Amino acid sequence: MSFEKKNIEKIKLFSKNMRKKILQMAFDAGASSAHFGGALSIVEILATLFSYKMNIKKKKDIGWDSRDRFILSKGHACLAYYSSLNLKGFISDEDLKTFEKDNSSLAGHPVKNKKLGIDFSNGSLGMGLSIGIGLAISSKKRKKLFNTYVVIGDGECNEGSVWEAAMAAPKFELDNLNVIIDRNNFQQTGSNKEIMDLGNLSEKWKSFGWNVTEIDGHSLNDLKNYFDTKKDNTKPNALIANTIKGKGFSFSENNNAWHHSVITKSIYELGIEELKNGN
Amino acid sequence: MEINSKNIKLWSTIGPRASLGLGILDLAKKQKELIVVTCDVSTSAGLDRLRKTLPDQYIDLGIAEQNMIGVSAGLASENFNVITTTFAPFQTMRCCEQIKVNLGYMEERVTMIGLASGLILGNLGFTHCCIEDIGVLRSIPNLNIISPADSLETIKSIEASLHSKKSTYIRVTGGPNNPIIYESDYKFEIGKSITLKKGNDVTLFGSGAILENCMIAAKALEEKKISTGVVNMHTIKPIDKDAILNAAEKSKLIVTVEEHNIIGGLGSAVSEVLSNIRNSPKQLTIGINDSYTKSGSYKYLKNYYRLTSEKILEDVQILLNE
Amino acid sequence: MSNIEKYRNTFVESLSINLKDLKEDLKYNDIPEWDSIGHMTLISNLEDAFEINIETDDIVDFSSYKKGLEILKKYKVSI
Repeated sequence: MSFEKKNIEKIKLFSKNMRKKILQMAFDAGASSAHFGGALSIVEILATLFSYKMNIKKKKDIGWDSRDRFILSKGHACLAYYSSLNLKGFISDEDLKTFEKDNSSLAGHPVKNKKLGIDFSNGSLGMGLSIGIGLAISSKKRKKLFNTYVVIGDGECNEGSVWEAAMAAPKFELDNLNVIIDRNNFQQTGSNKEIMDLGNLSEKWKSFGWNVTEIDGHSLNDLKNYFDTKKDNTKPNALIANTIKGKGFSFSENNNAWHHSVITKSIYELGIEELKNGN
Repeated sequence: MEINSKNIKLWSTIGPRASLGLGILDLAKKQKELIVVTCDVSTSAGLDRLRKTLPDQYIDLGIAEQNMIGVSAGLASENFNVITTTFAPFQTMRCCEQIKVNLGYMEERVTMIGLASGLILGNLGFTHCCIEDIGVLRSIPNLNIISPADSLETIKSIEASLHSKKSTYIRVTGGPNNPIIYESDYKFEIGKSITLKKGNDVTLFGSGAILENCMIAAKALEEKKISTGVVNMHTIKPIDKDAILNAAEKSKLIVTVEEHNIIGGLGSAVSEVLSNIRNSPKQLTIGINDSYTKSGSYKYLKNYYRLTSEKILEDVQILLNE
Repeated sequence: MSNIEKYRNTFVESLSINLKDLKEDLKYNDIPEWDSIGHMTLISNLEDAFEINIETDDIVDFSSYKKGLEILKKYKVSI
């Protein structure tokens, strides 16, 4: 198998394992319910970042100074984030079981916890990119060459604070800042088109001064190629990843009821079956 | 920068905003890890010199306060010492939730300076006055809130906040020819109030530039044989509980004076402490009576809201006579 | 010290410049040190040196070394 193919297989396996963990955590959360759909749409994105692209761990050195930084600005998709951190060895299987339980470190939105590899608390939409700018500026000032990755939601782009940050980043020529927009076309109570049409997102980000690329957010080849490709180093980078909310399970794909819902036993069993059959 | 009587007079003349500009420039020269982040207000904060001479330590994000807090939090998370500043309403309320999440909840440490708080920009209308900042921020955990009395205290509070483990909000009141409360250097500690004048019958707690009027009113009360103490409660959070308890033990009347709404500010903070004491003395809360009014000069508005020394004296006497 | 010496020394001290660099045609904003902060420092030190209180209009009008000499005459300071 070629080196290329080996990497793709590695990311593919990571994605599959992420979906297993997401299903399990959502089921264990029980009546607390979980933000299922929006976590599933970013699985391939996070799998590529965590298993391939980002330098986040030097052996056991958590909090390593030159690690790449990650911000899940769309914090409600934390199931994808926690499962990635678990597969990378930051969060234990035991800890995963505490998701949304009393006194847990794994809440329904990420809460800053350096020991678990969670650098920031997110969940109030529209705030992550600003922090990312601070990190990217720091990296340049300290001449520590780390990259910063910020995942934001398409609905999140309703927030004015996103555009404050989008306007500012090009001023500082932050080529070490990477935004990934999860374009799954839905937000909490309906489609983006119904609630607040975003228009041409690609043109918007381009006009603000970003390098913009648009890809299939579930294609591992596309994702890998994107992160491998050098871009104009005077601009920050925006990737518009076209995705499917709830991707990976027949019952949840493009079904906005799964924005935040309870996984019943029968749904759980169906999910396990589909994963086994390599869906 | 030397703290001597010549500089104290200079800082009073140029006002607290220009003074903090000089103070921050001095700190920035010594601390390369100090970064100032603003929203298009360099000249308003006396920071034009810093902008020109230390451009690597100055970041202007344009008129975008929410971004200012987020970027500052990102820098702070990488161990930079960050100061943000813009006009008080925008510094505290436009980006209030970012302050909550980034500084309160995540505890990234940033020093925020709210320019021209209180009534000094009264001619511009209440969009540019700030009578709500203390009240709004008090309910966010993990923040220090300081209202310095004069230009020297403004500089000292900034220095102290850079050593605090928590984020700090500093509300700057008064303007050029700011009254001098401290004629020489003194010890400033966050959370430790300073007794400016001893007295037993009545204790006046004040903070900010309005303290001068408290001192004048207190002296007038003394002439009427009413022993009146004045305490500079520069830190409203964490409030100096001991100072309030001590005053409650000896005084029959506690008075709070502030260029802030009587709801939520210094007065409320003091009453929260007093309400826990059995047989607490009465409290007179002097400040803005939960209203906005027509625009006017600083002098006009202080008079309207009964914050002049004459009106403070009047109101205290009315209560004492009851 | 004569009044002119006092005047020139105040410029030197307030704007952190050398006496030999102080030219009579110096104007506000000509040098980085004479910015708005430098200006207020200069005014404050002149007030101290000559024991006067300069009015706001005159503070604004004080746009150069030469203008300053004129303004001080108003305050009975003869240079």
